[in-house]
Amino acid sequence: MSGKHIVSAFDRDLESIQAKVMRMGGLVEAAMRDAVQALETSDVELAEKVRQGDRAIDALNETIRQETAQLLALRAPNAIDLRVILSVMSISGSLERIGDYAKNIAKRVTVISGVQQINGTYGALRRMTHFVTGMLSDALDSYIQRDVDLARDVTDRDPEADQMYNTLFRSLLTHMMEDHRNIAAGMHLHFIAKNIERAGDHATAIAEQTVYMVTGIKPDEDRPRADTTTTATMESDL
Amino acid sequence: MDDLRTIERSVDVKDIKITARKVQVFYGEKHALKDVDVDILDKTVTAFIGPSGCGKSTFLRCLNRMNDTVSIARVEGDIRIDGEDIYDKRVDPVQLRAKVGMVFQKPNPFPKSIYDNVAYGPKIHGLTRSKSELDGIVEESLKRAALWNEVKDRLHEPGTGLSGGQQQRLCIARAVATSPEVLLMDEPCSALDPIATAQVEELIDELRRNYSVVIVTHSMQQAARVSQKTAFFHLGNLVEYGETGAIFTNPQDPRTESYITGRIG
Repeated sequence: MSGKHIVSAFDRDLESIQAKVMRMGGLVEAAMRDAVQALETSDVELAEKVRQGDRAIDALNETIRQETAQLLALRAPNAIDLRVILSVMSISGSLERIGDYAKNIAKRVTVISGVQQINGTYGALRRMTHFVTGMLSDALDSYIQRDVDLARDVTDRDPEADQMYNTLFRSLLTHMMEDHRNIAAGMHLHFIAKNIERAGDHATAIAEQTVYMVTGIKPDEDRPRADTTTTATMESDL
Repeated sequence: MDDLRTIERSVDVKDIKITARKVQVFYGEKHALKDVDVDILDKTVTAFIGPSGCGKSTFLRCLNRMNDTVSIARVEGDIRIDGEDIYDKRVDPVQLRAKVGMVFQKPNPFPKSIYDNVAYGPKIHGLTRSKSELDGIVEESLKRAALWNEVKDRLHEPGTGLSGGQQQRLCIARAVATSPEVLLMDEPCSALDPIATAQVEELIDELRRNYSVVIVTHSMQQAARVSQKTAFFHLGNLVEYGETGAIFTNPQDPRTESYITGRIG
């Protein structure tokens, strides 16, 4: 629906909220990349920047929540307008969560730099981050351009992110079993991998919101999941 | 799933009360209503929405043959209530209107007492045999219209002395006094303040237990609040008809979408 509202202030309200969502998206993508880069380069300063930056993301989320509540109350939106508002609320919630994951990763940078390192994991984390921020960026593009095909493409990619996490999980478990001095770094890196994987889930949720917003129909709940670590044991899976 | 739903909106009733097929209305040369096909359910509130001049009131007035009173109006097609053709020559429009009651935009009580306003219909239709029976109908109707408590001590004062909201509820009491099966309401709240509107809306929800209610409204929020089914009219066509929840969240026709989101008028 591209037509303008007869009440043009309604369009301005909607545009202003959407602009905030996009700004939030930009901040979150950067936070995710910076957090993993800070980890790889043991850059404590960059990690601190990510931690501080989360406040701006949270503040945007709060503003969006207030403005959407106001719009619901004052304009009583229907049909596509209602779905836009509902999607905005959900998407800004997802972005806020991803922001928290980035902050959580950044928090672990100082600790990890002080313990024995596990070689080879950073490359895998970087590739996974690259993959997941790619999903996020496409999910936000699909939302802005109302592009259902792109949104479905994002949801289709989620199993691959899960797969990357599985591989990392197994590799970290192996390192920790081989040498108990790896356990400290291994535990932290595992949480980081899990955070990145969860960020992928939220990117997928954003893409699903796009599909709902455009078509009015929620995509099938039973999308394929490839995270198998919930049933992994040392005996059967390693 | 039925007992888990939070909004009691889903239409459970499947009994069709009114069937309209290929209904056309002409006002002289003007083709005001084009090929309307619709099934209106029993014990359900159906809202007709659409911009001015879209044909929604015209269609409402077909349902109790009010268009008969407009000399230049010509109605074609088939309208049946409980399977009976209401345009059949043997149907007496006056009897029909006792069965299909109507409430108008502006409250229009007769210049008579509150009691007589309600008693008028049952009297002329010979529905009662005694004064006490008539008293019973008046009381019952005023109670149904949620007006009894406010007027029970002044039943013989003029109806025109009531406030606007009370007058409208008096008109509703008058309409239900003849035990209609269908109640037509043409913008019943447009002259009322928000509190009186809420009272009438609450009443509409009550009436749904016994009647098939059809309401024409310009307020989309009112349609969304009171109805289970919504029909959208545009330029004389019935564009879309479906469950109210679906129409207001995910309409199928782009014209419906444009109208309810305030993009076309």
